[in-house]
Amino acid sequence: MTQYLPILALFIVAALFAGLSFMASGLLAPYRPTDAKSAPYECGIVPDREPAERFPVRFYLVAMLFIIFDIEIIFLYPWAVIFKETASPVFLLVEMLTFAATVFVAFIYLISHGALDWGPLKRLRPMAPISPARTSESTVRRIRPAARDEAA
Amino acid sequence: MFLASAGDPLFVDGINFAVALAVIIKVVLAFAFLLVSVLMMIWFERKIISDMQNRVGPDRAGPWGILQSLADGTKLFFKEDLLPDRADKRIFRLAPYLSAVPAFLSFAIVPIGGTITFGHYTTELQVADPPIGILFLLAMSAVAVYGVMLAGWSSGSKYPLLGSVRASAQMVSYEAALGLAVAAVVLYTGDLSTRAIVTGQEGLLRHILPSWNVFRLGFVPFFVFLIASTAELNRPPFDLVEAEQELVGGFHTEYSSIRFALFFLAEFMNTITMSAIVVTLFLGGPDGPGFHFLRWLWPILWFLGKTLVLLFVQVWLRGTLPRLRYDQLMDLGWKVLIPGSLVWLLILGGMLISFKWGLIVLGISVLFGAALIRARSLGAQRVGEVGS
Repeated sequence: MTQYLPILALFIVAALFAGLSFMASGLLAPYRPTDAKSAPYECGIVPDREPAERFPVRFYLVAMLFIIFDIEIIFLYPWAVIFKETASPVFLLVEMLTFAATVFVAFIYLISHGALDWGPLKRLRPMAPISPARTSESTVRRIRPAARDEAA
Repeated sequence: MFLASAGDPLFVDGINFAVALAVIIKVVLAFAFLLVSVLMMIWFERKIISDMQNRVGPDRAGPWGILQSLADGTKLFFKEDLLPDRADKRIFRLAPYLSAVPAFLSFAIVPIGGTITFGHYTTELQVADPPIGILFLLAMSAVAVYGVMLAGWSSGSKYPLLGSVRASAQMVSYEAALGLAVAAVVLYTGDLSTRAIVTGQEGLLRHILPSWNVFRLGFVPFFVFLIASTAELNRPPFDLVEAEQELVGGFHTEYSSIRFALFFLAEFMNTITMSAIVVTLFLGGPDGPGFHFLRWLWPILWFLGKTLVLLFVQVWLRGTLPRLRYDQLMDLGWKVLIPGSLVWLLILGGMLISFKWGLIVLGISVLFGAALIRARSLGAQRVGEVGS
């Protein structure tokens, strides 16, 4: 564990630096709070309601998907470390391929249901036809000169 | 070739006074180096950006305005530290620590040179060389998400909240791509220690190119890591977290004075660390030709030079590219970078066994890639229909 000693030392120095900066700022800076200063900053508009407490469900989806991929990555690291030493790399590769494919199938399912689509809604649902007999083809044919003659 | 990471040879005889002193000297030097380089980086960025935009930039404080960041930092100490009414005060005070301390710590694993000997002690020119190495970096960047998330959450204000929710979704998305790109490096090195990763890249590849990971791994993990780390840092063109036109200042809107300064410091320190990590993982770290005199100096110069080039690239990206839209950001992260780097990693694994296995994995990947493209168009259709 001695290899971590310098990290601990750096942690102490960094935390001390941050703490001392706050203390210095507390000593040097003025402190004259007013209502306007301590109100939430909204570019001059007086805030009249609490900030939202709910978020679009997509953010939660991203978080869950991240956990799945992060776990996959956690399994990947030991795999990557021993890959060159092992006696049977083919077995390791097939194993990881199976695992990655399983995760990937779930990922593709999610994508195909639009779980990660954030964009502006690009497409409107096609309108239902007014009568089944009236299609775009019949409409187009009616206004063509030849079709008009036939109709007359 | 298996490179066992023995760790820093400084600790082979256990800890005594001289070793403790060496640790303290290294830590204080690294700390000072980080602070000074952040000040220089802020000046460098402002100067380059102003050159790109036909402006003069800072030119009053010191020669070429080099002391501008120092003046700004000093000014922030004298500014009033506001605490919003609606803020969750304890978490509001905690968040800058959570952002700044990991920023300092993640630099600890970067090897900035070879080894140095004093007396009968030998030490590596890096703050620490733990066996988990690069995982430590990923852990620290995961902790940094909490700093950003809690800062916005505890402000009790609309824009910081939106900014922090965006930020955490963005940072976790790109962390997956980041981890997959690093896994490719680990696959070729067989070790997690950053020192082993750097020594594994010495030598020549086919007698022409340096045997750096950027060439050995076929560019893809390098570019995935570069893009993902830019997004992880919330730097342009991925700075949706603090998109001024939409969110005022993003997650740190309510922060002022030295608390704001710590967020700013952490952001630039992370930029420097990430550039140094790209150099370590993909560009051979301190590897490069040296001369016989001052043997210890050349690796450090190589490391600093490469890092400077990458820092310039970061500034260049900021000066050139427009900000992404949120859906473009998520599409790039989830539907391009993550599947791409995962597939590339598995192909690399196949290629390590034999060319035939590489082709087999490539074939399977093409099938899955086709399925992914189909799934994308299906998904876009469904969302469009539901939304109307």
